[in-house]
Amino acid sequence: MKKKLFGIIVLATLVSSFMLGGCNQQLDQSGDANGEGIQKKKDELVMAFGSEPEAGFDPTTGWGRYGSPLFQSTLLKRDNKLNIVNDIATSYKVNEDGKVWTVILRKDVKFSDGQPLTADDVVFTFETATKNGSVVDLNGMDKVEAMDDYTVKFTLKEPQSTFVNSLVGTGIVPKHAYGADYAENPIGSGPYQLVQWDKGQQLIIKANPEYYDKKSYFKKITFLFLNEDASFAAAQAGKVDLAYIPAAFSNLEVPGMRLESVKTVDNRGIAFPFIKSGDFTEDGLPIGNDVTADPAIRHAINIGVDRKALVDGVLEGRGTPAYTSVDGLPWWNPDTVIKDADLDGARKLLKEAGWKDTDGDGILEKDSLKAEFTLYYLASDAIRQSLAISVADMIEPLGIHIKLEGGSWDIIEKKMYSNAVLLGWGSHDPHEMYNIYSSKFAGVDYYNTGFYQNKTVDDYFEKALRATSETEAIEFWKKAQWDGTTGLSANGDAPWAWLVNIDHLYLVKDGLDIGEQRIHVHGHGWPATDNIVEWKWTK
Amino acid sequence: MISSLKLKNKDNHKQLPSNRKKRTLFIILISIIFLVIVILGGVLIDEGRIVTNLNDRNAPPSLDHLFGTDWLGRDMFTRTLMGLSLSIGVGLIGAIGSASIALFLGMAAATMGKMADRLISWLIDLFLSVPHLVTLILIAFTLGGGFKGIVIGLALTHWPSLARVIRAEVMQVRSAEYVQVSQKMGKSQWWIALHHILPHIAPQLLIGFMLLFPHVILHEAAVTFLGLGLSPHEPAIGIILSESMKYLSSGMWWLAFFPGLCLLIIVRTFDQIGENIRLLIDPNRAQD
Repeated sequence: MKKKLFGIIVLATLVSSFMLGGCNQQLDQSGDANGEGIQKKKDELVMAFGSEPEAGFDPTTGWGRYGSPLFQSTLLKRDNKLNIVNDIATSYKVNEDGKVWTVILRKDVKFSDGQPLTADDVVFTFETATKNGSVVDLNGMDKVEAMDDYTVKFTLKEPQSTFVNSLVGTGIVPKHAYGADYAENPIGSGPYQLVQWDKGQQLIIKANPEYYDKKSYFKKITFLFLNEDASFAAAQAGKVDLAYIPAAFSNLEVPGMRLESVKTVDNRGIAFPFIKSGDFTEDGLPIGNDVTADPAIRHAINIGVDRKALVDGVLEGRGTPAYTSVDGLPWWNPDTVIKDADLDGARKLLKEAGWKDTDGDGILEKDSLKAEFTLYYLASDAIRQSLAISVADMIEPLGIHIKLEGGSWDIIEKKMYSNAVLLGWGSHDPHEMYNIYSSKFAGVDYYNTGFYQNKTVDDYFEKALRATSETEAIEFWKKAQWDGTTGLSANGDAPWAWLVNIDHLYLVKDGLDIGEQRIHVHGHGWPATDNIVEWKWTK
Repeated sequence: MISSLKLKNKDNHKQLPSNRKKRTLFIILISIIFLVIVILGGVLIDEGRIVTNLNDRNAPPSLDHLFGTDWLGRDMFTRTLMGLSLSIGVGLIGAIGSASIALFLGMAAATMGKMADRLISWLIDLFLSVPHLVTLILIAFTLGGGFKGIVIGLALTHWPSLARVIRAEVMQVRSAEYVQVSQKMGKSQWWIALHHILPHIAPQLLIGFMLLFPHVILHEAAVTFLGLGLSPHEPAIGIILSESMKYLSSGMWWLAFFPGLCLLIIVRTFDQIGENIRLLIDPNRAQD
């Protein structure tokens, strides 16, 4: 026995001395890195992001939708106030019926391999993107033609004011250098060139000397793909200049770094099945849910949820309550804000709709229907999990029982038409609202999973798409949300219960200026790069 | 003087076996009571205590919350208790399943002829050649995860060593003289299996079963830790531990410390019971 004890003590001493030794070594290393960092600081930048663009850097399959495309540039772009300004284009015009868009290009644009960018490349890009049929939605485009070397004509099937966002979001790829491995070896006309991409680890880029616009302050930028914990640790060790961190770490100070909190439309909400059960999709997946098809249930949840508490509790105060998918954007209708955390109001609503607790088990019934449904959430996302648990607990006192189920996207895809799902959206393109709420997108991918349908809302959508300018369209986008009698917001049909907009948090090294950040879109880290050419060291 | 000393020594000598036995029984009893309390606690505890309480988040251990609260204000003591009783439940089903498989295959290998023996021995070797955890993950994943996947996975992976022990025991008993005599007297195979072999291997089976328990529980925790099993809002001990990892760097040590310690204690308790039962009923060790 004594021998054993002695053995344990010896072992413990050995182990702890190794651990301490390891610590020392690490400290030394980070010290070195700091020293080097100060010398390098002039023109280099190291960032830690959680999400890696695993599909690569091909704009025709979706790269650059969220954040800057880095390697490519686009015809138009949005400035920091979200106004649309020219990039490769010098001007564009739309004909009277809204179907023909003509874009004139700059003549001095070159790809990073020195070849000039012409109308052919633009045509090639849009044709490839249409063929690839990925998240890049060009369904509304009929054809694209080069009129001469620097003029491109887009013809649409139907007028679509949001088409301008396709011009903003799609980086132009070179026709002469596009191949099967383009996603891994992108060549473009953007501010940066790819140096090296170690999948799962890091991405290194350098400034593109051929870039025609304002050149980047940094000669070299390294993106490290670290999980949240490792990002934070790297920031603490002084190894990165900017790190994306989750709200849980926002209360911890890191010496030499400041916390930048950016407002977003990166929202989370619950999508309810809007119709009664019974139907099936073409693949045989069930559609609809009898409980959530009752408007009283959806409204009661919308009114009953305490969004402020969710922001404070789940997001550590780093967020804002969400009422629609477009809060704070130019096409948001502020009338959609409702009074929430109103349990009494919710109870009254349920009572009027005929929901009563007849068997005394704390859960309401209406005829033979029990007020309970399943809410699916993405199991690997801690914030979605926390939101789902908190909402279920908040709603329980009303007598509505939400069963929780965590799963991967594969599982959620099979269940999302017949169960409530916790989803997130957020884009600088009003077309996204059309996708989420239009009856045309019922059951298409993750859009309109609840099969929401409202004729008036659909009409407003049509009008907004047919508008010839964004200002004109905005009126109709707003009316679709709430026109005083109906709409897609919680005042109207409430097919969703939007919960929160999540602020994006970055630890930024003192002396690094990351410019004026616009309202961020959905996505972890990358939206910050939208204005990366404006970033610089100030000391 | 000397005689009294001798007497004392003698007394000591006499009392030792009964003391030893008493002590062993006492330890077993205490352990079982402890486990029953944990299980009952997990079943009976008010579920209201794990409701989120956003005003009382990240609280360190206090009298109100013995193990502190997590980032949603859920009471960690309650979660741990529920997690442990879930683990014990899963461990029970898994261990019973494994022990039954081991019993069946061990008996079959020893009684059903050369071919069956070879086949089953090969199967045992096959399963022993791969680490438990790997097979377990494979099976749980194939079955689509979830509670079902874990339980079936656990039952299907933990039998080989026990099966091998049982096979050896059965072979030994079969060649014993009284069994041979029985056979010569025309008793059926079934009769011999039930009346001669089963009683003989019962202690081995019981000890094997008890010692499987901690194994199964640890593996259950490991699989849920890796996120293969249950939804992350369920109070399983592996899930609690893997969640707490995220909060260690923000200094919330109690999220990992108490549940981890409890898991350790539970597993040690089962181990204790198993070892002590072995001391009591294993004919080779009982006289130690």
